[in-house]
Amino acid sequence: MDKVTCIVVGAGPAGSACAYALARKGIETVLLERGRVPGEKNVSSFVLYTSELKRLIPEFRKDLPFERTVVRTDQVQLEPNDAKALTSYNYQWVDDPLAFTAYRRKFDAWFARKAVDEGVQLISGMKVNNLIKDGDQVVGVRVGDEELYADVVVGADGFHSVVGEKSGLITTWKPERCFLAVKEVLDLPSDVINERFQVADGIGCEQGIYCYHMNDLDVFSATLYTNVDSVSLAVFARLDELQKKNIQLHEQLEFFKQHPYVDNLIKGAKLREYQAHLLPDGGRVKPENLYADGVLLCGEAGGITATVTGMGIPTCLLSGMMAAETIGDAVKQKDFSKRSLKNYLKYLDSTALLAMVHKSRKESDYYASAARLEGPREMEAAADIYNQYWETDVMYISKHSFSLLVELYLRIGQYHLPGLLRWPLTALVKLSRLPAKLVEKIKKRLRKRYYEWKGQPAGR
Amino acid sequence: MSGKASLPVDEKMATVKIKIDKDAHITVKKERCQDCPTRPCLVICTAENYQWDEKKGELVFNYEGCLECGACRIICPRDAIEWSYPKGGYGVKYRFG
Repeated sequence: MDKVTCIVVGAGPAGSACAYALARKGIETVLLERGRVPGEKNVSSFVLYTSELKRLIPEFRKDLPFERTVVRTDQVQLEPNDAKALTSYNYQWVDDPLAFTAYRRKFDAWFARKAVDEGVQLISGMKVNNLIKDGDQVVGVRVGDEELYADVVVGADGFHSVVGEKSGLITTWKPERCFLAVKEVLDLPSDVINERFQVADGIGCEQGIYCYHMNDLDVFSATLYTNVDSVSLAVFARLDELQKKNIQLHEQLEFFKQHPYVDNLIKGAKLREYQAHLLPDGGRVKPENLYADGVLLCGEAGGITATVTGMGIPTCLLSGMMAAETIGDAVKQKDFSKRSLKNYLKYLDSTALLAMVHKSRKESDYYASAARLEGPREMEAAADIYNQYWETDVMYISKHSFSLLVELYLRIGQYHLPGLLRWPLTALVKLSRLPAKLVEKIKKRLRKRYYEWKGQPAGR
Repeated sequence: MSGKASLPVDEKMATVKIKIDKDAHITVKKERCQDCPTRPCLVICTAENYQWDEKKGELVFNYEGCLECGACRIICPRDAIEWSYPKGGYGVKYRFG
């Protein structure tokens, strides 16, 4: 009977980060991956921001397998017959890069290898089928006919998390909280990319594109970024919208590619690979369901990712690091029960990660409600979302500190209080939010009036 | 913005490498699909793996061409689709994810 201290399921950014950090602490760790090599199952839909990676591996730039260094960032707003774009060049990123474009097949393999170099045992081509339980305590995993035992199991196994489901932490899925994405990698010669995107060799461009009123979908988003000799193009839409409107997302992608703005950029490009992925909206799992006896969830499995803000990889990575911190404490105390692993929430709070996730979820709600007045506002909103990331390292808690504190309290804080204290305090906090809600309601009504006056449909 | 031939999904799928397992990782309780009013799986699947066979009057599907997004499982209103990731080492192999 094999027994280790920790089994991490899934060698994506969250799993590899967790395993790497655990190995650094000298904790015996096994990393399981269902692909034959890490990264071959994974699809990324945006560029790779590296603040968190730098925190974990300061010298990562030495051998990071990347395609281009991102210097040009665009926010684009498309409607059937027009396009508005806001382009910015961040030349300080030429020498001190913050973001890279990369293929996950190479990046994830590199990251897992880093963990292996630290002493992690990586086993690829192994899919976890079930968990082994002793009462409520999870004590290991079942891979095919084999059993592997551990003090604690970390579920970093993606959207359809086996660990999450078998441990009972994930029970439901709501289509309205899922984004479906399809992506195409399109061959385009390097010099053509340089010319069309107006960038130098080795310098890349990322574009976040919001599309309105195209082909029956009120709103959907897209991303476009440049690799060395290809362009990655992805479109996203909420699952329930697609269902309601009876729209095939890959048809939508074709429609999107025919928009003059997009067509100009990708003209003549040949399809290299077609991909699809499902993303959880921020906060799929309630914070109190991120941990149980002998189990922690991180990354997409726990829904700790900020889909709409394009920060999926960094947020997943950070949650993996925090899971490792939690386990580090648990190992010291030799206690792997739910009570001990509850520290996970404290660590997540220390990074404002949950607030970020919650924010992402709100943004996605915002974009889903297509009833807005004019164009520029949407551009501003887009700029705001994406600027929030580098405003501060630990995700912009100062600017919105009060409302964030309120949200934090409602989402997490209140569960730490005894009932007698909780009820009156929660009622008070909720009351303090009421005026904002009222203002929102009045605004909504005014918008409706405005549309009636203009003779246009008011959206939903 | 119109008149151009768009790429059919079969041609897109030709660019994807898949190692096919002989055991299916998708099973469908087909009797539940009979009176399903919307059948969203036909629309949602990014590889168009689900089709309605008018002659037989039942759902036919092809697990070999699965891109492993798992949207079908989330969207199915009848809970008829049992979907899990394929066995370790099998299934889709993205080279440029």
